[in-house]
Amino acid sequence: MYQYSPEDSEFLVERVDQFEKQLNRHLSGDLDEAKFRSLRLRNGLYMELHAHMLRVAIPYGTLNSIQLRALADVADKYDRGFGHFTTRQNIQFNWIELPEIANLLRELSSVGLHAIQTSGKATRNITADPLSGLTEGEIEDARPYCELIRRWFNLHPEFSWLPGKFKIAINGAKLDETALKIHDLGLRLVRSDEGEIGFSVFVGGGLGAAAMVGAETASFIPVEDILSYLESVMRIYNLKGRRDHQKRLRIKFLVRELGAVEFSRLVYEDWLQTKDDPELKLNLIELEGLKKDFELPIKPLPQAKFIDKVDFNYSIWKKNNVRSHKISGYSIVNVSLTKLGAAPGDASSEQMRILADLADKYSETELRTTKRQTIVFPHVRKDQVFDLWQSLEKYELASPHQGTLAQIVACPGGDYCDLAKAVSIPIATRVQKRFDDMNKLLDIGDLNINISGCENSCAHHHVADIGLLGMQKNGEEYYQITIAGETLHETIIGKKLGPSVSGENVVDAVEEIVNVYLDNREEEERFTDVFKRIGINPYKEKVYE
Amino acid sequence: MSDILEPKSIVNKANENIELVEFDEFINNINKYETLGVGVIIKPSDDIMLLKDSLYFIELVILDFNNFDDGRGYSQAYFLSKRWGFKGEIIGINAHLDQLQFMLRSGVTSYELLEDYKGFNEEDYSNGFSICYQAAANNSGLREKY
Repeated sequence: MYQYSPEDSEFLVERVDQFEKQLNRHLSGDLDEAKFRSLRLRNGLYMELHAHMLRVAIPYGTLNSIQLRALADVADKYDRGFGHFTTRQNIQFNWIELPEIANLLRELSSVGLHAIQTSGKATRNITADPLSGLTEGEIEDARPYCELIRRWFNLHPEFSWLPGKFKIAINGAKLDETALKIHDLGLRLVRSDEGEIGFSVFVGGGLGAAAMVGAETASFIPVEDILSYLESVMRIYNLKGRRDHQKRLRIKFLVRELGAVEFSRLVYEDWLQTKDDPELKLNLIELEGLKKDFELPIKPLPQAKFIDKVDFNYSIWKKNNVRSHKISGYSIVNVSLTKLGAAPGDASSEQMRILADLADKYSETELRTTKRQTIVFPHVRKDQVFDLWQSLEKYELASPHQGTLAQIVACPGGDYCDLAKAVSIPIATRVQKRFDDMNKLLDIGDLNINISGCENSCAHHHVADIGLLGMQKNGEEYYQITIAGETLHETIIGKKLGPSVSGENVVDAVEEIVNVYLDNREEEERFTDVFKRIGINPYKEKVYE
Repeated sequence: MSDILEPKSIVNKANENIELVEFDEFINNINKYETLGVGVIIKPSDDIMLLKDSLYFIELVILDFNNFDDGRGYSQAYFLSKRWGFKGEIIGINAHLDQLQFMLRSGVTSYELLEDYKGFNEEDYSNGFSICYQAAANNSGLREKY
């Protein structure tokens, strides 16, 4: 995987030094809260319900064991022994003291980690398929492109004060694990009829109160021209995006107001002025260097006859958590952090260190984070998967929930977040308790339940099979239900089922929806396919009868 | 709150006093100003594209960066400096210490800080990095990595 060069590290240190000066000016009263807010957010620092929260970037979700240990140290030294892996592949710490931030960031910079632009109105961490480079049928591993584009928009002089936040995802695989069309900007690697690699560009996707699927603004932009095209997108957004209405800041509103055709035309006209500028051509030599950095650290193993161990619990875990690797002799192992009553994605410092040790032993030191808030061991020898499972089991990390309904995605919700209208984690816990029979979970199969505590939609509830959105009604917590959203095969915003349901009744409603699915499913039919075939009424009837 | 500059004239690098006109006034009376050698004050909401064909007779341009969170001035500076190669001064007024690096790299040639920032070391914010990761109007003093 890519390692920061000495000059990259120097940049990180310089950024910390500058932020420390800003922090000191704020603490001494020389920098007002409004301006400091804008600056601290660009360093991933939020003021939450109880304390400051720091979001640390995990670019394209790739980590090494040294970095994970450093994050564990941060959890112990500066937090309360926990970190929270997010749906955008980052990690957050919830109990940070303001005067300690600079030292914390300095420690992270020593292992190539930072919090630059993990929040604020700038280009955020670029996300990628957590299985990038690991599966058959990819156009290419997206991560070298993620790294080049990430760098390009790092403290970009023209685009660091955009109207709103700007999230980018890049996918090179057949299935879309990145949910790129619900991002401000999504790039899909494509191959032209002539065999040239380029990008399809989708702009204006997003969730929140006005969920939208991104519009395709260009079907093929050659690799070399992608930076100039992205600059044109951002320039049009920077100059024409809404700044007068707090709920209309994102680029999706500009695309909607102008219309996708007009927006695309404006971008194209600007791009024609810059596309041949040699300074804006993507550096193909640097790209080749990065591709080498991201080459897989493993070679195919001899095809020896391999008989796996027989163990009931292992078999269940393996069925849900292990995938085949494109390199023969290897598997991809997904570790669920789901634990009853805990926020999905939470990991203790002890768990982080265990995962780091296991990555050293079983996965060439590498780990990946996912939008389902799990941890992937990308390179595990098939004949060591059982040993890895035993170690995970020993440390209570062998939850077989991956790929089942119980692997719920939930934001911190009303327990931690001051934006939340309702709790998320207790609802997730109640759903998990309702569906605690592993045979039933296996029968239901891969069905996503995502729970957001407010319209900011941090848990991506619009694009889950079953999405729950927390809200307040007469001082009580209610949940609006959406069903049949998805991003993996195609991007569909879930349909609202009907009136919101009280917190008391919401788990019953979820069970009814699952039962309608099971009663109508034909063979291996997915939830969204059943919904397309039978429509919304059977679900409405059961929930609201 | 410090005093916000709304200058009527400014002294350029050649020590000449240059009369300034607001953007709307200039656009609505372009012919009047063609021979007067004025400077134009541009606010973030002004459409910089309307200025393109008049640049050859504009003495200098003032960009107003008073609104901390409004980034349109950086694109305006980019158009003037890099896209159109404007040779006159591009002066950022009502500037914020913490945004100097962005202003200067976008093409602003000089600046007037808001009063609040007097006494702080401007170098820390105008020149706090040794490396940059992207092409820009002005990367002087920076090692470029892209």
